[in-house]
Amino acid sequence: MRKGLLAAAAVLAVSLALREDDFALLLLTRVLIVILACLGLNVQFGYAGVVNFAGATFFGVGGYTAAVLARSTAVPHLFILLIGGAAAALAGTILVVPVLRTRGHYAALVTIAFALLFRTFFEVNDALGGPQGLKLPELRIGPVHFNDAIEIGSFFASFYLKYIVLSLLLAALGFAFVLRLERSFIGVALDCIRLDEIAAASFGVDVARWKIVAFTLGNFLIGLAGALSAFMVGFIAPDNYSFGESLIFVSILLLGGLGNPWGLSLASAVVLLLPEKLQVIAEYRFLLFAAVVILILLFRPAGLLPRPLRRLT
Amino acid sequence: MSALLRCRDLSRAFGGLLALEGLDLDVEEGGVLGLIGPNGSGKTTFFNVLTGFFPATRGEVLFAGEPITGLSPQVVYRKGVARTFQRSRLCLPLSIFDNLLIGNHKHLDHRLWSNLVDRRALRRQIEQTFAEARELVRIFDPPLADRLLEPASRIPMIDRRRIEVCRALISRPRLLLLDEPSAGMTQEETMRLMDDILQVKSRLGGLTIILIEHEMTVIERVTERCVVLNYGRKIAEGAYAEIARTPSVREAYLGLE
Amino acid sequence: MSIIAQYVMNGAMLGMMYALVAVGFTLFFGVLDVIQFAHGDVLAAGAFAALAVWLGLTRLGVASPALLLALVVVAATVATALLGAAVARFLVLPLKGAPQLNVLLVTLMMGTVLRESIRLFYPGGSQPQLFPALLPTSSVALGEFNLRIDNVILLAAGTVLIAGTSLLVTRTRLGLAIRAVAQDEETARTMGVDFRRIVLLTFALGSALAAFAGVMDGLYYNEIFFGMGLLLGVIGFAAAIIGGLGNLYGAILGGFFFAALQTIGAVALPFASAYKDVFAFGVVIALMALRPKGLIGERTSERV
Repeated sequence: MRKGLLAAAAVLAVSLALREDDFALLLLTRVLIVILACLGLNVQFGYAGVVNFAGATFFGVGGYTAAVLARSTAVPHLFILLIGGAAAALAGTILVVPVLRTRGHYAALVTIAFALLFRTFFEVNDALGGPQGLKLPELRIGPVHFNDAIEIGSFFASFYLKYIVLSLLLAALGFAFVLRLERSFIGVALDCIRLDEIAAASFGVDVARWKIVAFTLGNFLIGLAGALSAFMVGFIAPDNYSFGESLIFVSILLLGGLGNPWGLSLASAVVLLLPEKLQVIAEYRFLLFAAVVILILLFRPAGLLPRPLRRLT
Repeated sequence: MSALLRCRDLSRAFGGLLALEGLDLDVEEGGVLGLIGPNGSGKTTFFNVLTGFFPATRGEVLFAGEPITGLSPQVVYRKGVARTFQRSRLCLPLSIFDNLLIGNHKHLDHRLWSNLVDRRALRRQIEQTFAEARELVRIFDPPLADRLLEPASRIPMIDRRRIEVCRALISRPRLLLLDEPSAGMTQEETMRLMDDILQVKSRLGGLTIILIEHEMTVIERVTERCVVLNYGRKIAEGAYAEIARTPSVREAYLGLE
Repeated sequence: MSIIAQYVMNGAMLGMMYALVAVGFTLFFGVLDVIQFAHGDVLAAGAFAALAVWLGLTRLGVASPALLLALVVVAATVATALLGAAVARFLVLPLKGAPQLNVLLVTLMMGTVLRESIRLFYPGGSQPQLFPALLPTSSVALGEFNLRIDNVILLAAGTVLIAGTSLLVTRTRLGLAIRAVAQDEETARTMGVDFRRIVLLTFALGSALAAFAGVMDGLYYNEIFFGMGLLLGVIGFAAAIIGGLGNLYGAILGGFFFAALQTIGAVALPFASAYKDVFAFGVVIALMALRPKGLIGERTSERV
């Protein structure tokens, strides 16, 4: 708890210091949004052991839902963000049966097929803008217009500062949720399901039910992050939700250390900021991160920050 | 006195192979039954059918007078049947206490609200289970009871066996199924483990045990009655001293004559 | 009538490609119980190796189509066999004993490395590349239907390859060793089979079959692109599962079954041709939901 508040305060302090630097704040927001999405993936993959190679797809479902609703309805934007998460969770239910009935490599195949399916679907569906995608209106929550710069007296800050505050808030909530989940009986049950389904079933753990819960909650977080990201960027297109992006999410999880929210936060920052700082590698990022993950799996499978033992007492 | 567990004509086929055929078996409440037989004679299959991992192809199981045939492993556990496995199935990366929590699953609150939002009841249950776990493990090995927060991967084989038995016992089942607890242990260690289990049994009162075991000394010492399986069929039943003299058993099991 | 013949021909070509890819998956699973998720991208690498060799040879002045074809096929086969064996040697075997998921992840990432390498390092690799027509382009008129000679040659060659693989596995010493390893590693070792060597050979063999599928794809569609392996890999893997992983004939049947479904889908939903990939992947998901262990059933069962 204290560590979390400190981290949040640090992020805020850095953002305030960089308050006039649009690009820096944009990057920081993207990191926070990706952290939120990876927290969702972590519940699925890191805890319940449900593989999901369609992370970017669920991110996209949230984004497209937000775009469609914001363009053609008067639903308040705060609700649209939540509906984006719910839509991703709902889309996940298409996969629930095949993912539950299969495990390991089969479940991987199912999510990969889903990722490729949706990518093509976004691309060929004219109502969703085809390959060009869709534009989103400005995000408004209550009286706050997110795309106006902040000017209070002599205090001036980029409009991205608002996005930082919002994404920090959501990421912090997501963080608190994941930490509590881990330190609960549900967390113990999920771990047991991941490690040994047969042992779990012998002791009454309803394997199917908890996999569904983990998969759905995870997709909700991913979709929520996707909706927020769509608003911030102001436009969405199928290219942003490719299979390669899904693999980047998975890479972040594996780099950080499966099951460790702190690890994935650090890894999100590295994976997102490194290509921006070193423009040379930007073009090579899929290749680079895939290669790094191979090395991690071969030589340090627990990731950079291995998950510590659960402490309930 | 009525039997706690009653199996009638219990059968299980895998393709054409009859792993269990027409097994009739009764276990009295509070009894210790030994289940012996050569490798592949259907002992573990019996446990798997009993606990709902494999549906029976024929026959019926009554537990405390109630049919449990065809129920899922989860429901069978909730009704009071707990088991150990031949090959250790502890969750090694988790702490010992986490493993014991899994054993106590049916007594714990798994609602989202009390796990994520209002966690007072959760904390209370953690403390209570922790106290129970310490007390239980102390019967088996006092120093081990002080190491519950260490990862299960860090303790030696004998302690893993102990924790597996504790995981099965902590929910206070009525029927305990032990699948070859001696695997990977010395005879002395097994004897001690069995004595400790019997001690728990006497404390709990009413615990019934079915023990699959290859170590005949263990069977002789702790069981009151034995059932011998061969090719999925029951070939003998009785006290160990009796069946050890039965020629068919000696032939099938000990490979004599 | 000619339309139907066209669909059947198209389905047969697809089926042959899928079957060739699926056989690879099934062979790998047979010997090591792993899924080689980079298999599709190994295929793409083979197709690009073929293209590169063709470019090189034509620049050197080699003009004989037969010689070109032979060299191109050999180049692709050798390239994928080496790649496949390398994946086994450096990624799969070192992870023996680690969770299955890690092997899956490592090969999936390897696939990305291959795919991205083609995109980034092959000249113009980010765009589809024209693949040369190395086979006679003439056709025979059968009523209203024009039977293209190159398609017939490809189908015949594919059939010969699959039959050859099946004979190799069932009738030769190498095949016996592969089957021994697939049965049980320990037994194979006690029989004096060099486990590592057989695994590497099996990976080389399965990958070489994929090379042919890759060249076939290039010849049939006249173009190849860096992402082709992903699509063929997913469908080939689905086909292998439908046929029951580890089952050679099941994989072949699975490949044709999948192509048939896709072709029927294209006939039944002509208005939705843009959605043909959506349909294909939808079928993969539906099949996994309905028959998660395939239509024939996986070789191994889980032990409690």
